[in-house]
Amino acid sequence: MRKTRRLTFLLVFLSLAVAPLCAQDLTLPLKSGSVRFAVIGDMGTGDAPQYEVAQRMLEFHQKFPFSFTIMLGDNIYGGKAPGDLQKKFEIPYKPLLDAGVQFYASLGNHDDTNERFYKFFNMNGQSYYSFKKGNVHFFALDSDYLDPKQLEWLEKELANAGTDWKICFFHHPLYSSAAFHGSSTELRTILEPLFLKYGVQVVFAGHEHVYERLKPQKGIYYFTEGASGELRYGNLRKTDLTAVGYDKDRSFLSVEISGDDLSFQAISRTGVTVDSGSFHRPGAAQSSP
Amino acid sequence: MSGLSLQAASLVISWSAIAAAQTPPLNEQSPGFDDFTQRVQQYMKLRKALPNERTTKRQDQIVDRRLAIAGAIREARPSAKQGDIFTPGCTPEFLKVIRGALLGSKAVNVRKTIRQGEPVIGVHLAVNGAYPGHLPRTTVPPTLLLRLPRLPDKLAYRIVDHDFVLQDTEARIVVDFIPGALP
Repeated sequence: MRKTRRLTFLLVFLSLAVAPLCAQDLTLPLKSGSVRFAVIGDMGTGDAPQYEVAQRMLEFHQKFPFSFTIMLGDNIYGGKAPGDLQKKFEIPYKPLLDAGVQFYASLGNHDDTNERFYKFFNMNGQSYYSFKKGNVHFFALDSDYLDPKQLEWLEKELANAGTDWKICFFHHPLYSSAAFHGSSTELRTILEPLFLKYGVQVVFAGHEHVYERLKPQKGIYYFTEGASGELRYGNLRKTDLTAVGYDKDRSFLSVEISGDDLSFQAISRTGVTVDSGSFHRPGAAQSSP
Repeated sequence: MSGLSLQAASLVISWSAIAAAQTPPLNEQSPGFDDFTQRVQQYMKLRKALPNERTTKRQDQIVDRRLAIAGAIREARPSAKQGDIFTPGCTPEFLKVIRGALLGSKAVNVRKTIRQGEPVIGVHLAVNGAYPGHLPRTTVPPTLLLRLPRLPDKLAYRIVDHDFVLQDTEARIVVDFIPGALP
Protein backbone atom coordinates (compact mmCIF):
# COMPACT_ATOMS: atom_id res chain seq x y z
CA MET A 1 0.00 0.00 0.00
CA ARG A 2 2.79 2.37 1.02
CA LYS A 3 4.68 1.40 -2.15
CA THR A 4 1.65 2.17 -4.31
CA ARG A 5 1.28 5.56 -2.66
CA ARG A 6 4.95 6.30 -3.28
CA LEU A 7 4.63 5.26 -6.90
CA THR A 8 1.52 7.39 -7.36
CA PHE A 9 3.30 10.38 -5.82
CA LEU A 10 6.30 9.82 -8.09
CA LEU A 11 4.10 9.60 -11.20
CA VAL A 12 2.21 12.76 -10.27
CA PHE A 13 5.50 14.57 -9.57
CA LEU A 14 7.00 13.45 -12.86
CA SER A 15 3.93 14.40 -14.85
CA LEU A 16 3.97 17.89 -13.29
CA ALA A 17 7.67 18.26 -13.95
CA VAL A 18 7.44 17.14 -17.54
CA ALA A 19 4.18 18.94 -18.35
CA PRO A 20 5.76 22.33 -18.98
CA LEU A 21 8.24 20.82 -21.40
CA CYS A 22 5.45 19.15 -23.32
CA ALA A 23 3.29 22.24 -23.30
CA GLN A 24 6.05 24.36 -24.80
CA ASP A 25 5.37 23.13 -28.30
CA LEU A 26 7.46 25.17 -30.63
CA THR A 27 5.41 27.16 -33.11
CA LEU A 28 8.32 29.24 -34.36
CA PRO A 29 9.73 28.25 -37.75
CA LEU A 30 13.42 27.96 -36.70
CA LYS A 31 14.67 29.09 -40.07
CA SER A 32 18.34 29.06 -40.81
CA GLY A 33 20.04 32.42 -40.26
CA SER A 34 17.04 33.97 -38.54
CA VAL A 35 17.25 36.58 -35.76
CA ARG A 36 15.96 34.96 -32.56
CA PHE A 37 15.32 36.67 -29.28
CA ALA A 38 13.26 36.61 -26.11
CA VAL A 39 11.33 39.50 -24.57
CA ILE A 40 10.82 39.99 -20.84
CA GLY A 41 9.46 42.89 -18.84
CA ASP A 42 8.88 43.91 -15.23
CA MET A 43 10.74 40.85 -14.05
CA GLY A 44 13.21 42.04 -11.40
CA THR A 45 11.42 40.97 -8.24
CA GLY A 46 13.79 38.22 -7.15
CA ASP A 47 10.74 36.15 -6.19
CA ALA A 48 9.91 32.57 -7.12
CA PRO A 49 7.72 33.40 -10.17
CA GLN A 50 10.59 35.28 -11.81
CA TYR A 51 12.80 32.22 -11.33
CA GLU A 52 10.11 29.95 -12.73
CA VAL A 53 9.74 32.09 -15.86
CA ALA A 54 13.54 32.08 -16.20
CA GLN A 55 13.46 28.28 -15.99
CA ARG A 56 10.82 28.10 -18.75
CA MET A 57 13.01 30.39 -20.84
CA LEU A 58 15.94 28.05 -20.36
CA GLU A 59 13.86 25.03 -21.36
CA PHE A 60 12.57 26.90 -24.40
CA HIS A 61 16.12 27.95 -25.29
CA GLN A 62 16.96 24.29 -25.79
CA LYS A 63 14.31 24.06 -28.52
CA PHE A 64 14.63 27.59 -29.79
CA PRO A 65 18.20 28.78 -29.27
CA PHE A 66 17.68 32.52 -29.08
CA SER A 67 20.88 34.53 -28.89
CA PHE A 68 19.67 37.54 -26.92
CA THR A 69 16.89 38.89 -24.74
CA ILE A 70 15.46 42.39 -24.67
CA MET A 71 14.32 43.74 -21.30
CA LEU A 72 11.42 46.17 -21.14
CA GLY A 73 12.24 47.86 -17.87
CA ASP A 74 11.70 47.44 -14.15
CA ASN A 75 14.69 45.18 -14.36
CA ILE A 76 15.49 45.54 -10.66
CA TYR A 77 12.70 46.39 -8.23
CA GLY A 78 13.35 47.73 -4.74
CA GLY A 79 16.90 47.71 -3.41
CA LYS A 80 19.80 48.11 -5.81
CA ALA A 81 22.62 46.75 -3.66
CA PRO A 82 25.01 44.23 -5.25
CA GLY A 83 23.08 41.40 -3.60
CA ASP A 84 19.89 42.60 -5.28
CA LEU A 85 21.46 42.47 -8.75
CA GLN A 86 22.46 38.89 -8.07
CA LYS A 87 19.11 37.82 -6.69
CA LYS A 88 17.04 39.68 -9.28
CA PHE A 89 19.16 39.12 -12.38
CA GLU A 90 22.38 37.14 -12.22
CA ILE A 91 21.05 34.05 -10.45
CA PRO A 92 17.73 33.55 -12.25
CA TYR A 93 19.25 34.08 -15.70
CA LYS A 94 22.65 32.49 -14.98
CA PRO A 95 22.07 29.40 -17.13
CA LEU A 96 21.07 31.64 -20.04
CA LEU A 97 24.06 33.93 -19.47
CA ASP A 98 26.29 30.87 -19.32
CA ALA A 99 24.78 29.71 -22.60
CA GLY A 100 25.92 32.99 -24.17
CA VAL A 101 22.54 34.73 -24.27
CA GLN A 102 23.02 38.51 -24.19
CA PHE A 103 20.62 40.83 -22.41
CA TYR A 104 19.77 44.30 -23.71
CA ALA A 105 17.97 46.42 -21.13
CA SER A 106 15.76 49.46 -21.26
CA LEU A 107 14.99 51.35 -18.08
CA GLY A 108 11.65 51.44 -16.25
CA ASN A 109 10.38 53.77 -13.56
CA HIS A 110 11.62 51.40 -10.84
CA ASP A 111 15.15 51.17 -12.22
CA ASP A 112 18.23 53.07 -11.18
CA THR A 113 19.67 55.13 -14.03
CA ASN A 114 23.07 53.69 -13.10
CA GLU A 115 21.95 50.29 -14.34
CA ARG A 116 23.22 51.62 -17.65
CA PHE A 117 26.75 50.99 -16.36
CA TYR A 118 26.04 47.34 -15.59
CA LYS A 119 27.84 45.45 -18.34
CA PHE A 120 25.38 42.54 -18.49
CA PHE A 121 22.66 44.99 -19.56
CA ASN A 122 24.66 46.01 -22.65
CA MET A 123 23.69 49.68 -22.39
CA ASN A 124 27.27 50.98 -22.59
CA GLY A 125 26.57 53.77 -20.13
CA GLN A 126 23.61 55.13 -22.12
CA SER A 127 19.99 55.19 -21.02
CA TYR A 128 18.96 54.98 -24.69
CA TYR A 129 20.87 53.28 -27.48
CA SER A 130 20.53 51.20 -30.62
CA PHE A 131 22.00 47.99 -31.95
CA LYS A 132 21.63 45.82 -35.00
CA LYS A 133 21.16 42.08 -35.35
CA GLY A 134 21.00 40.74 -38.90
CA ASN A 135 18.44 42.79 -40.79
CA VAL A 136 16.86 44.19 -37.62
CA HIS A 137 17.58 47.53 -35.99
CA PHE A 138 16.66 47.76 -32.31
CA PHE A 139 16.15 51.06 -30.51
CA ALA A 140 16.04 50.98 -26.71
CA LEU A 141 14.41 54.13 -25.35
CA ASP A 142 14.17 55.68 -21.91
CA SER A 143 10.45 56.41 -21.77
CA ASP A 144 10.69 57.95 -18.29
CA TYR A 145 12.73 60.81 -19.64
CA LEU A 146 11.99 61.60 -23.27
CA ASP A 147 13.85 64.88 -23.44
CA PRO A 148 14.51 66.75 -26.69
CA LYS A 149 18.04 65.34 -26.84
CA GLN A 150 16.79 61.75 -26.84
CA LEU A 151 14.10 62.53 -29.39
CA GLU A 152 16.59 64.15 -31.74
CA TRP A 153 18.89 61.16 -31.33
CA LEU A 154 16.01 58.79 -32.09
CA GLU A 155 14.99 60.70 -35.18
CA LYS A 156 18.53 60.67 -36.51
CA GLU A 157 18.97 56.95 -35.77
CA LEU A 158 15.67 56.04 -37.41
CA ALA A 159 16.44 58.17 -40.44
CA ASN A 160 19.75 56.35 -40.91
CA ALA A 161 18.35 52.87 -40.34
CA GLY A 162 17.42 52.23 -43.97
CA THR A 163 14.63 49.91 -44.95
CA ASP A 164 15.30 47.01 -42.60
CA TRP A 165 13.14 46.00 -39.67
CA LYS A 166 12.95 48.77 -37.08
CA ILE A 167 11.93 47.68 -33.59
CA CYS A 168 11.61 50.02 -30.64
CA PHE A 169 11.43 48.84 -27.05
CA PHE A 170 10.89 50.77 -23.86
CA HIS A 171 8.90 50.66 -20.66
CA HIS A 172 5.60 52.51 -21.07
CA PRO A 173 3.04 51.11 -23.53
CA LEU A 174 1.66 53.61 -26.04
CA TYR A 175 -1.44 51.42 -26.32
CA SER A 176 -2.76 49.17 -23.58
CA SER A 177 -6.04 47.66 -22.45
CA ALA A 178 -4.84 47.04 -18.90
CA ALA A 179 -6.81 48.80 -16.21
CA PHE A 180 -4.00 49.85 -13.90
CA HIS A 181 -2.30 52.47 -16.10
CA GLY A 182 -3.72 52.09 -19.58
CA SER A 183 -2.22 53.72 -22.66
CA SER A 184 0.53 56.28 -22.24
CA THR A 185 -1.21 58.86 -24.34
CA GLU A 186 1.22 61.72 -23.91
CA LEU A 187 4.19 59.58 -24.91
CA ARG A 188 2.15 58.38 -27.86
CA THR A 189 1.61 61.91 -29.14
CA ILE A 190 5.38 62.41 -29.09
CA LEU A 191 6.64 59.04 -30.34
CA GLU A 192 4.01 57.81 -32.74
CA PRO A 193 4.63 60.50 -35.38
CA LEU A 194 8.30 59.51 -35.45
CA PHE A 195 7.47 55.81 -35.68
CA LEU A 196 5.13 56.45 -38.58
CA LYS A 197 7.45 58.81 -40.39
CA TYR A 198 10.41 56.43 -40.28
CA GLY A 199 8.58 53.14 -40.65
CA VAL A 200 8.95 51.49 -37.25
CA GLN A 201 7.11 48.18 -37.60
CA VAL A 202 7.12 46.71 -34.10
CA VAL A 203 7.09 48.14 -30.57
CA PHE A 204 7.60 46.21 -27.33
CA ALA A 205 6.70 47.74 -23.95
CA GLY A 206 6.15 46.62 -20.38
CA HIS A 207 4.88 48.54 -17.32
CA GLU A 208 1.46 46.89 -17.32
CA HIS A 209 1.89 43.53 -15.59
CA VAL A 210 0.11 41.50 -18.22
CA TYR A 211 0.77 40.15 -21.69
CA GLU A 212 -1.09 41.82 -24.52
CA ARG A 213 -0.76 41.79 -28.27
CA LEU A 214 -2.60 44.69 -29.77
CA LYS A 215 -4.26 44.96 -33.11
CA PRO A 216 -1.89 46.91 -35.36
CA GLN A 217 -2.30 50.61 -34.72
CA LYS A 218 -1.73 52.73 -37.82
CA GLY A 219 0.15 49.75 -39.24
CA ILE A 220 2.48 49.26 -36.24
CA TYR A 221 2.46 46.03 -34.20
CA TYR A 222 2.47 46.63 -30.44
CA PHE A 223 3.20 44.04 -27.77
CA THR A 224 3.10 44.52 -24.00
CA GLU A 225 5.08 42.01 -21.96
CA GLY A 226 5.12 43.27 -18.39
CA ALA A 227 4.49 40.02 -16.59
CA SER A 228 7.82 38.21 -16.53
CA GLY A 229 8.11 38.62 -12.75
CA GLU A 230 5.25 40.81 -11.59
CA LEU A 231 1.60 40.06 -12.36
CA ARG A 232 -1.66 41.96 -12.06
CA TYR A 233 -4.04 39.06 -12.20
CA GLY A 234 -7.21 39.78 -14.16
CA ASN A 235 -6.20 43.37 -14.91
CA LEU A 236 -6.83 43.27 -18.64
CA ARG A 237 -10.04 44.88 -19.84
CA LYS A 238 -10.10 43.54 -23.35
CA THR A 239 -10.95 46.43 -25.63
CA ASP A 240 -11.09 47.07 -29.35
CA LEU A 241 -7.32 47.42 -29.14
CA THR A 242 -6.74 43.86 -27.95
CA ALA A 243 -5.83 41.11 -30.36
CA VAL A 244 -4.84 38.63 -27.62
CA GLY A 245 -4.33 39.18 -23.92
CA TYR A 246 -3.21 37.05 -21.01
CA ASP A 247 -3.37 38.15 -17.37
CA LYS A 248 -3.72 34.87 -15.51
CA ASP A 249 -0.03 34.17 -14.95
CA ARG A 250 3.47 35.37 -15.70
CA SER A 251 4.88 35.03 -19.18
CA PHE A 252 7.67 35.75 -21.65
CA LEU A 253 7.72 36.22 -25.38
CA SER A 254 9.99 34.74 -28.00
CA VAL A 255 10.44 36.16 -31.46
CA GLU A 256 12.01 34.98 -34.69
CA ILE A 257 12.64 37.20 -37.69
CA SER A 258 13.57 35.65 -40.98
CA GLY A 259 13.79 37.97 -43.95
CA ASP A 260 10.54 39.93 -44.01
CA ASP A 261 8.64 37.58 -41.71
CA LEU A 262 8.27 37.87 -37.96
CA SER A 263 6.95 34.99 -35.84
CA PHE A 264 6.19 35.17 -32.14
CA GLN A 265 5.23 32.82 -29.33
CA ALA A 266 4.21 33.87 -25.82
CA ILE A 267 4.68 31.29 -23.09
CA SER A 268 3.32 31.27 -19.55
CA ARG A 269 5.16 30.50 -16.31
CA THR A 270 3.73 26.99 -16.45
CA GLY A 271 4.92 26.48 -20.01
CA VAL A 272 1.63 26.96 -21.83
CA THR A 273 1.68 28.77 -25.14
CA VAL A 274 -0.75 31.65 -24.66
CA ASP A 275 -0.29 33.38 -28.01
CA SER A 276 1.50 32.73 -31.26
CA GLY A 277 1.45 33.90 -34.84
CA SER A 278 3.38 35.63 -37.56
CA PHE A 279 3.20 38.61 -39.86
CA HIS A 280 4.97 40.03 -42.86
CA ARG A 281 6.95 43.22 -42.51
CA PRO A 282 4.59 46.10 -43.25
CA GLY A 283 5.62 47.82 -46.44
CA ALA A 284 7.75 44.91 -47.66
CA ALA A 285 6.91 43.09 -50.88
CA GLN A 286 5.14 39.76 -50.41
CA SER A 287 7.49 36.87 -51.10
CA SER A 288 6.46 34.44 -53.78
CA PRO A 289 5.02 31.12 -52.49
CA MET B 1 24.29 72.83 -48.99
CA SER B 2 25.58 69.23 -48.96
CA GLY B 3 23.25 66.19 -48.86
CA LEU B 4 24.22 65.58 -45.26
CA SER B 5 23.46 69.14 -44.24
CA LEU B 6 20.12 68.94 -46.01
CA GLN B 7 19.30 65.75 -44.14
CA ALA B 8 20.32 67.28 -40.83
CA ALA B 9 18.27 70.37 -41.54
CA SER B 10 15.23 68.29 -42.43
CA LEU B 11 15.56 66.35 -39.15
CA VAL B 12 15.63 69.54 -37.14
CA ILE B 13 12.68 70.93 -39.05
CA SER B 14 10.61 67.76 -38.73
CA TRP B 15 11.27 67.40 -34.99
CA SER B 16 10.51 71.07 -34.44
CA ALA B 17 7.24 70.57 -36.27
CA ILE B 18 6.28 67.64 -34.03
CA ALA B 19 7.25 69.58 -30.94
CA ALA B 20 5.32 72.61 -32.06
CA ALA B 21 2.27 70.46 -32.72
CA GLN B 22 2.34 69.31 -29.08
CA THR B 23 3.43 72.20 -26.93
CA PRO B 24 5.24 75.21 -28.27
CA PRO B 25 8.68 75.19 -26.64
CA LEU B 26 9.72 78.31 -24.87
CA ASN B 27 12.84 80.03 -26.02
CA GLU B 28 15.69 78.32 -24.17
CA GLN B 29 17.51 81.64 -24.16
CA SER B 30 14.62 83.21 -22.34
CA PRO B 31 16.26 85.61 -19.87
CA GLY B 32 14.30 83.93 -17.11
CA PHE B 33 16.41 80.80 -17.56
CA ASP B 34 19.80 82.49 -18.05
CA ASP B 35 20.63 82.46 -14.39
CA PHE B 36 19.77 78.76 -14.15
CA THR B 37 21.87 77.87 -17.18
CA GLN B 38 24.89 79.70 -15.75
CA ARG B 39 24.53 77.94 -12.39
CA VAL B 40 24.28 74.58 -14.12
CA GLN B 41 27.44 75.35 -16.08
CA GLN B 42 29.22 76.20 -12.83
CA TYR B 43 28.05 72.92 -11.33
CA MET B 44 29.32 71.02 -14.35
CA LYS B 45 32.69 72.75 -14.12
CA LEU B 46 32.96 71.46 -10.57
CA ARG B 47 31.66 68.07 -11.65
CA LYS B 48 34.24 67.74 -14.42
CA ALA B 49 37.02 67.48 -11.84
CA LEU B 50 35.32 64.55 -10.10
CA PRO B 51 35.33 60.85 -11.02
CA ASN B 52 32.69 59.28 -13.28
CA GLU B 53 30.86 55.98 -13.40
CA ARG B 54 32.26 53.36 -15.78
CA THR B 55 30.78 50.23 -17.30
CA THR B 56 31.53 47.14 -15.25
CA LYS B 57 30.24 43.64 -14.61
CA ARG B 58 30.39 44.28 -10.88
CA GLN B 59 27.48 46.07 -9.28
CA ASP B 60 29.50 46.65 -6.11
CA GLN B 61 31.90 48.81 -8.14
CA ILE B 62 28.99 50.87 -9.50
CA VAL B 63 27.69 51.42 -5.97
CA ASP B 64 31.15 52.24 -4.58
CA ARG B 65 31.81 54.75 -7.34
CA ARG B 66 28.39 56.32 -6.88
CA LEU B 67 29.06 56.82 -3.18
CA ALA B 68 32.53 58.20 -3.90
CA ILE B 69 31.16 60.67 -6.46
CA ALA B 70 28.39 61.74 -4.10
CA GLY B 71 30.91 62.24 -1.30
CA ALA B 72 33.18 64.28 -3.54
CA ILE B 73 30.27 66.50 -4.64
CA ARG B 74 29.28 67.14 -1.02
CA GLU B 75 32.88 68.05 -0.21
CA ALA B 76 33.08 70.34 -3.21
CA ARG B 77 29.88 72.22 -2.29
CA PRO B 78 29.59 71.82 1.47
CA SER B 79 27.34 74.79 1.98
CA ALA B 80 25.01 74.13 -0.95
CA LYS B 81 21.43 74.98 -0.14
CA GLN B 82 18.02 75.04 -1.72
CA GLY B 83 17.82 77.91 -4.18
CA ASP B 84 21.49 77.93 -5.22
CA ILE B 85 20.68 76.72 -8.73
CA PHE B 86 16.93 77.24 -8.89
CA THR B 87 17.61 80.82 -7.86
CA PRO B 88 14.86 83.26 -6.89
CA GLY B 89 15.51 84.86 -10.27
CA CYS B 90 14.74 81.78 -12.37
CA THR B 91 12.22 79.99 -10.16
CA PRO B 92 9.24 82.05 -11.38
CA GLU B 93 10.08 81.04 -14.97
CA PHE B 94 10.13 77.36 -13.98
CA LEU B 95 6.88 77.72 -12.07
CA LYS B 96 5.28 79.40 -15.07
CA VAL B 97 6.24 76.50 -17.34
CA ILE B 98 5.42 73.72 -14.86
CA ARG B 99 2.07 75.16 -13.86
CA GLY B 100 1.28 75.99 -17.46
CA ALA B 101 1.72 72.31 -18.30
CA LEU B 102 -0.16 71.01 -15.27
CA LEU B 103 -3.06 73.41 -15.45
CA GLY B 104 -3.21 73.98 -19.21
CA SER B 105 -5.34 72.42 -21.92
CA LYS B 106 -3.23 69.20 -22.04
CA ALA B 107 -3.09 68.91 -18.24
CA VAL B 108 -5.05 65.64 -18.14
CA ASN B 109 -2.43 63.82 -20.20
CA VAL B 110 0.48 65.47 -18.43
CA ARG B 111 -0.84 64.49 -15.01
CA LYS B 112 -1.55 60.98 -16.27
CA THR B 113 2.09 60.66 -17.35
CA ILE B 114 3.25 61.65 -13.87
CA ARG B 115 0.83 59.20 -12.25
CA GLN B 116 2.02 56.42 -14.52
CA GLY B 117 5.52 56.92 -13.10
CA GLU B 118 4.06 55.82 -9.76
CA PRO B 119 5.28 58.83 -7.78
CA VAL B 120 5.76 58.56 -4.06
CA ILE B 121 4.28 61.11 -1.71
CA GLY B 122 5.47 62.26 1.68
CA VAL B 123 9.19 62.27 0.80
CA HIS B 124 11.32 65.11 2.15
CA LEU B 125 14.37 66.02 0.14
CA ALA B 126 17.52 67.91 1.06
CA VAL B 127 20.17 69.49 -1.15
CA ASN B 128 23.25 67.24 -1.24
CA GLY B 129 21.05 64.50 0.23
CA ALA B 130 20.72 61.12 -1.42
CA TYR B 131 17.80 60.62 -3.77
CA PRO B 132 16.07 57.84 -1.81
CA GLY B 133 17.07 54.45 -3.18
CA HIS B 134 13.59 52.97 -2.94
CA LEU B 135 11.98 55.80 -4.95
CA PRO B 136 10.93 55.23 -8.53
CA ARG B 137 12.80 57.43 -10.99
CA THR B 138 9.37 58.94 -11.74
CA THR B 139 8.33 59.93 -15.22
CA VAL B 140 8.81 63.52 -16.32
CA PRO B 141 6.22 64.46 -18.96
CA PRO B 142 7.96 64.90 -22.31
CA THR B 143 5.84 67.92 -23.22
CA LEU B 144 7.18 69.58 -20.08
CA LEU B 145 10.77 68.63 -20.90
CA LEU B 146 10.34 70.27 -24.30
CA ARG B 147 9.78 73.60 -22.61
CA LEU B 148 12.58 73.51 -20.05
CA PRO B 149 16.27 74.33 -20.45
CA ARG B 150 18.28 71.36 -21.64
CA LEU B 151 20.57 69.72 -19.16
CA PRO B 152 24.01 68.13 -19.49
CA ASP B 153 24.21 64.33 -19.45
CA LYS B 154 24.78 63.89 -15.73
CA LEU B 155 21.79 65.95 -14.66
CA ALA B 156 18.06 65.30 -14.92
CA TYR B 157 14.83 66.84 -13.76
CA ARG B 158 12.74 64.71 -11.42
CA ILE B 159 9.32 65.09 -9.86
CA VAL B 160 9.05 63.95 -6.25
CA ASP B 161 5.74 64.53 -4.57
CA HIS B 162 5.05 68.23 -5.24
CA ASP B 163 8.72 69.16 -5.56
CA PHE B 164 10.60 69.77 -8.78
CA VAL B 165 14.09 68.34 -8.46
CA LEU B 166 17.45 68.67 -10.18
CA GLN B 167 19.23 65.36 -9.72
CA ASP B 168 22.80 64.28 -10.38
CA THR B 169 21.97 60.93 -11.96
CA GLU B 170 25.35 59.23 -11.44
CA ALA B 171 25.76 60.36 -7.84
CA ARG B 172 22.01 60.03 -7.15
CA ILE B 173 22.03 63.16 -5.06
CA VAL B 174 19.68 66.11 -5.01
CA VAL B 175 21.49 69.08 -6.53
CA ASP B 176 18.62 71.49 -5.90
CA PHE B 177 14.83 71.56 -5.88
CA ILE B 178 11.85 73.87 -5.98
CA PRO B 179 9.58 72.91 -3.10
CA GLY B 180 5.88 72.75 -3.88
CA ALA B 181 6.41 73.53 -7.57
CA LEU B 182 3.67 71.17 -8.69
CA PRO B 183 0.17 72.34 -7.91
